[in-house]
Amino acid sequence: MMQSFWPIYKREIFVFFVTPLAWVLAAVFMIVQGMHFVVIVQYFLGIHDAGADQTPVQAFFGSTVLLYLIMFLLVPAMTMRLLAEERRTGTLETLLTAPTSYSAVVLAKYASVLTTYVAMWIPTVLYMVILGRNIDIDWQVVGAAYLGIACVGAGYLAVGVLMSAITDSQFVALVLTALVMVGLFVLGVGEFTAREGSWVQAFCSHVSVWAHMSHFASGIVDLRAIVFYASLVVTSLFASVRVLEAQRWGG
Amino acid sequence: MISVKHLVKRYDSGSRTAPAVNDVSFHIEQGQVAGFVGPNGAGKSTTLRILAGFVAPTSGSVTIAGFDVERQSLQARQQLGYMPESSALYPEMRVNEYLRFRAELKQVPRAKRRAAVSEALDAAGISDVADACIKHLSKGYKQRVCLADALVARPPVLILDEPTSGLDPNQIREMRDVIRGLGQNHTVVISTHVLSEVEAMCNRVLLIAKGKLVAESAVHELAKKRRATGVAFVVRGDVAASVGAVQAALGRAACAPTVHVPSPREGRPDDGVHEIRCAWTHEPERDRQNLADPQAQTQTLTSTTLSDDEASQRATEQAVQALVRAGCAVRAVRSLHDSLEDVFAQLTEVGHRETENRE
Repeated sequence: MMQSFWPIYKREIFVFFVTPLAWVLAAVFMIVQGMHFVVIVQYFLGIHDAGADQTPVQAFFGSTVLLYLIMFLLVPAMTMRLLAEERRTGTLETLLTAPTSYSAVVLAKYASVLTTYVAMWIPTVLYMVILGRNIDIDWQVVGAAYLGIACVGAGYLAVGVLMSAITDSQFVALVLTALVMVGLFVLGVGEFTAREGSWVQAFCSHVSVWAHMSHFASGIVDLRAIVFYASLVVTSLFASVRVLEAQRWGG
Repeated sequence: MISVKHLVKRYDSGSRTAPAVNDVSFHIEQGQVAGFVGPNGAGKSTTLRILAGFVAPTSGSVTIAGFDVERQSLQARQQLGYMPESSALYPEMRVNEYLRFRAELKQVPRAKRRAAVSEALDAAGISDVADACIKHLSKGYKQRVCLADALVARPPVLILDEPTSGLDPNQIREMRDVIRGLGQNHTVVISTHVLSEVEAMCNRVLLIAKGKLVAESAVHELAKKRRATGVAFVVRGDVAASVGAVQAALGRAACAPTVHVPSPREGRPDDGVHEIRCAWTHEPERDRQNLADPQAQTQTLTSTTLSDDEASQRATEQAVQALVRAGCAVRAVRSLHDSLEDVFAQLTEVGHRETENRE
């Protein structure tokens, strides 16, 4: 059943890098991350104070809104075409009449965007190396922060796959994915506005990407957060497979 | 090789609209080239999509080379090459990249992949564009890339949905030649709404209208079904005399003859050459009863109107004799036949009437 995973995965990676969209996304991502880094470095150079309440690593991984903004831009644009485009152009028909399985198609497509996402983050390791040359940084904290980035990205990308499965319009898929991401973000902000100690606040902090990232960026690997994103991945991908199967019946 | 039993496909469950495919059963033997013919919207594509496993049937069963398309979906799909109507391809890939991808997807072993791709390119006649980007190809080439894709894993069964639609006459002829050639090593099912195509490519025909199979036969039997509709004589001589002779000889067997005298404008000198056309008067009531037999759900086309044919041939002989006796020179006698399209129209109309009667 899974033999078809590899060819589909390879094709997705190939297509991503022969279309201009990928390079535009990667360029925007690198520019925003570079600016982000410069702003943070200048800020920390300006305070001349050992008593700062956070480190540059923490700031880079989630204490500024820039990280989330770039995610909202990047993830929906990466996932929107995965299944919607295939359905719109009719290639889904050729794909699914080959001896392949629905789960292989969904997993291969998901794995390809996840790989691309990770690849886009790799150059930012350079910033950490630059920081490390000038100040002491804790590489375990950096590792935890990247784990957090991977978890959040994995969750969001899986949502994007599902949204691309339920519609044949790339634009609708993009908007829906962005809405879910912003919705989760806003729910997370509810942590600060809800009544202290209420179940609403507990719920909000459980889904808060802001809280998750600030934990990871301080070197705390929070298992609850990992479970949260893992379940987001599993649920979304499972639902995507079921959606594809259901479309066989509806035609 | 392909066996379909009581296949039903309903798109909106619970609605009162007729199903897209309504209780269709047929069997296609190994090595046959079967043509699925019907008007647009008759259920051809839906049936083929069910055969290919892309659409799930509401009820009924389909087996491909012994594998049930629902329960042994993967094995069934390994037996077939499917070419969808849309000829959808990935525009950003090159032709050989695409076919290599498809070969790998269809589990052609790595060592044989290169040979399989070049064979498929040759069979579809597109070796010259192997390195071209798919988005730059013309519609005809795209269609043939789809065909190459269907062939690349050398499946025993080929399902081609409207392989000639959207092609120009030359491309249609090439595609027909290719498909006829495929019949030697594959079991092929094609769909089309052009009957002459079936005559050119297939040895078995399945007529479908409004989701029902209205007729099924070998193609040569379909050809027999073409009735003689009339006869035309090209005669030199006096028009009044020749028409009188024809009328007297044919009597009630034919309608009033129509006369066509070529004018000098058509490049013919006025030498008294003219054409007389007569249409046979058939007995439509008896014919229709024959076809619309409510007992037979699927009409076999074996019941030809042989007696009619013989009668019309005899009447033609008499007419020629009468013309000669009247002193006219007969230059040519041509028997006029129903086109296949007329046969098709008759049969699908019968199919419609049948369903209406039942409702």
